[in-house]
Amino acid sequence: MKTLYVEGDTFLHRLSPRTKLLGLAVVSLVLFLIHSPAILSVAAALGGIVYASLRLGWRQSWLRLRPILLTIVVVALFTLVFNGWHDALIVVTRLTALAVFAAAVTATTSTGDFIDEITRLAMPLERLGLVRAADIGLSIGLVIRFVPEILGRYQAIRDAHRARGLKVRPLTLAVPLIILTLKNADEIAAAIDARGVRAQK
Amino acid sequence: MTTRDLVLAALFAAIIVALGLVPPIMLGFIPVPITAQSLGVMLAGVILGARRGGFAVLLVLLLVAIGLPVLSGGRGGLATFASPTAGYLVGWFFAAVVTGYCSERFVDRSQAGIVQITGFFLAALLGGVVVDHALGIFYLAYITGTGLATAFIGDLSFVPGDVLKAMIAALAGRAVMVGYPLLPHRA
Repeated sequence: MKTLYVEGDTFLHRLSPRTKLLGLAVVSLVLFLIHSPAILSVAAALGGIVYASLRLGWRQSWLRLRPILLTIVVVALFTLVFNGWHDALIVVTRLTALAVFAAAVTATTSTGDFIDEITRLAMPLERLGLVRAADIGLSIGLVIRFVPEILGRYQAIRDAHRARGLKVRPLTLAVPLIILTLKNADEIAAAIDARGVRAQK
Repeated sequence: MTTRDLVLAALFAAIIVALGLVPPIMLGFIPVPITAQSLGVMLAGVILGARRGGFAVLLVLLLVAIGLPVLSGGRGGLATFASPTAGYLVGWFFAAVVTGYCSERFVDRSQAGIVQITGFFLAALLGGVVVDHALGIFYLAYITGTGLATAFIGDLSFVPGDVLKAMIAALAGRAVMVGYPLLPHRA
């Protein structure tokens, strides 16, 4: 799995993940308080400048932003039909600004930095006894570790269907995939406990 | 949460991510792609129950937030939460919890097969369709200012697909319960 993080040494890369996340939260709040299309357009342009300063190149930037921009355009058309051009303009500028700022934070913060930050943010929850902060990083690591294995299993089940001349249906595929995968849980949990990764209290 | 619960949730999150690699179908008139991932969300509730199922979906959302392209079509990153359809995405968590809670209430291992399937279907319908769509509609209506009625009409085209997914989730949930029961029962 490739992350959306891009190596680099721009100003945004050097900012701490916490500053970036807080900044993004403030920006999104402000964007929702503004109702003037002109100011929102300036905000979107600013976002564009910040994003351009990452020097990802046109092609790469387009590939990354395409899915969300398409969604925004369709929703804007929807708003145009029902509410008129003024509201549609607000939707386009506000959401585009939000999307580029968010994409800029994603492109400049590595997965590891994010996990560290989330672990630190979860500390107060740990003190309340709700979660163990260290479990979050462990779980994320587990998910990333097992996706390729599940895909391999998916292909094996599909091939088994073909070999027996059966049609591949969602049910006959999902059920063995889920049971085979979840049956590993005991061994994996035993391995984690045997290594003392989660020190028992 | 025991280590086993944690691992089960993480494995299920990985299954949901893997389901996203099946290409999504875009309907022309509303900007929400139909994906097997929302089937995975219902399955998480039906198979693991409220607590572990909710945690599995939360992990997927966390992976999205930290910039991994784990959603169908390679979508991911914080920008996904800025999308007008983010209500459906955040709604996944509540969908899994509600589906899980209802499954724990409605379904019991001693029941007849048809009763279990019906219970799972109702649970998936409540969580995966009612709760998720309600949150999606509220957010879409709020962000576009079009009003709830318009957003609701736009949403309707996705209901048949998701009802079908609830049916698949019910049948799969019952089959997994027979083969490898994990769902806790809530009296």
